Amino acid sequence: MTGSPAAQHQLDLVPDALLAGRAADGDTAAFEALARRHGPLMRATARRLTGSLTDADDVVQETLVQAWKQLDSLRDPAAVKGWLLRIVGSRSIDHLRKRRNHVDLDDVENAVDAGSRPRNKDPENNAVNSSRIEALKTALAKLPEEQRRCWVLKEFNDQSYEEIALTLNISPASVRGRLARARITLARTMEEWR
Amino acid sequence: MKTTGDTLECGHSLAELSAYLDTGQIDDPAHLDSCPECQAGLASLRHLSELGSDLLRSDVAAAGSGNDDWMQSILDNLRLELRPGRSIPLQSEDAHDTLWETEGSISALIRSVADALPGTAAGKCRLHGDVTTPGAGITVEVDIAVVYGHAMEERAAVLRQELAETLAFHTELAIQTINITVTDVLEPPTPSKEEQP
Repeated sequence: MTGSPAAQHQLDLVPDALLAGRAADGDTAAFEALARRHGPLMRATARRLTGSLTDADDVVQETLVQAWKQLDSLRDPAAVKGWLLRIVGSRSIDHLRKRRNHVDLDDVENAVDAGSRPRNKDPENNAVNSSRIEALKTALAKLPEEQRRCWVLKEFNDQSYEEIALTLNISPASVRGRLARARITLARTMEEWR
Repeated sequence: MKTTGDTLECGHSLAELSAYLDTGQIDDPAHLDSCPECQAGLASLRHLSELGSDLLRSDVAAAGSGNDDWMQSILDNLRLELRPGRSIPLQSEDAHDTLWETEGSISALIRSVADALPGTAAGKCRLHGDVTTPGAGITVEVDIAVVYGHAMEERAAVLRQELAETLAFHTELAIQTINITVTDVLEPPTPSKEEQP
């Protein structure tokens, strides 16, 4: 059942809800199939939040440990992707809090994009579009830290105002305000750029 | 967005429009349709949202595949705890021996039988009834996904028969009923690109 290449391949074809149900029953192969399926998205959002690839991988690992323990509390197995992303959001912010005293955060966060030019594998993803993405990255990096976190948690990790409020330990009204300010600044920058 | 500060000339704020995009709620929705300022503000915010999705796609592409080494290394570190579930007593020859098997091992057995059928994969499975009491009537519930093109009723009938035989052989459970629910019909696997002309 588990481990054989044929079974592994078969699990890659089945929907999230089925895998989540199996994983909640204790099937580690199903859980690993879920992890592989959503790993790149988890890694990408953790990287945008923590600004570090090493931290992002730590966050993905902690997220999977927590997810395995709490899977049977997931009411809607079909919603497992959003649920994983919300855990990634919380764990990423925890990582930033732990790191706060050790290094200058803004230096690390800004270094992400300088150090890693995106590999442009898609020929249709033309130069104009990728330079707009670069412009958005630059604008994001210039935002105040709390605004940037609100924006990424909303747009990448799909968290509600209430969830972001819990994650960042601020009020939902503050989330609403910071998210709006982030969007206004980013939208203005991108309008000028366009 | 020709604005000074956060407030549009019509009196609405961009913060209200930002919240409207997330919640669909705003004090006077009728105003939005007729106000060019609000329309321009919403268009700009929606454009930003699309760009955000583009950035996310670019970041995900840069993160690599879930089949790459980085993910394998994370999975190797996980050491997932087993979920044994309830302990199911087994008869023993010697009264001094206490033997049992775990509910988790029965679930794994059920999944392996379902997965072994062509074009079929098991989902959640449950043992209803008091499995800790020998001889208590047990109902098995299994969700399965079947690849499109396989006859579902026939598949469920074959699986029910195989599960009954396997559980009778490997366990001492008094299985009364086996309920099989087809929860998903899967797309047939597409040939990989390398195999295409």
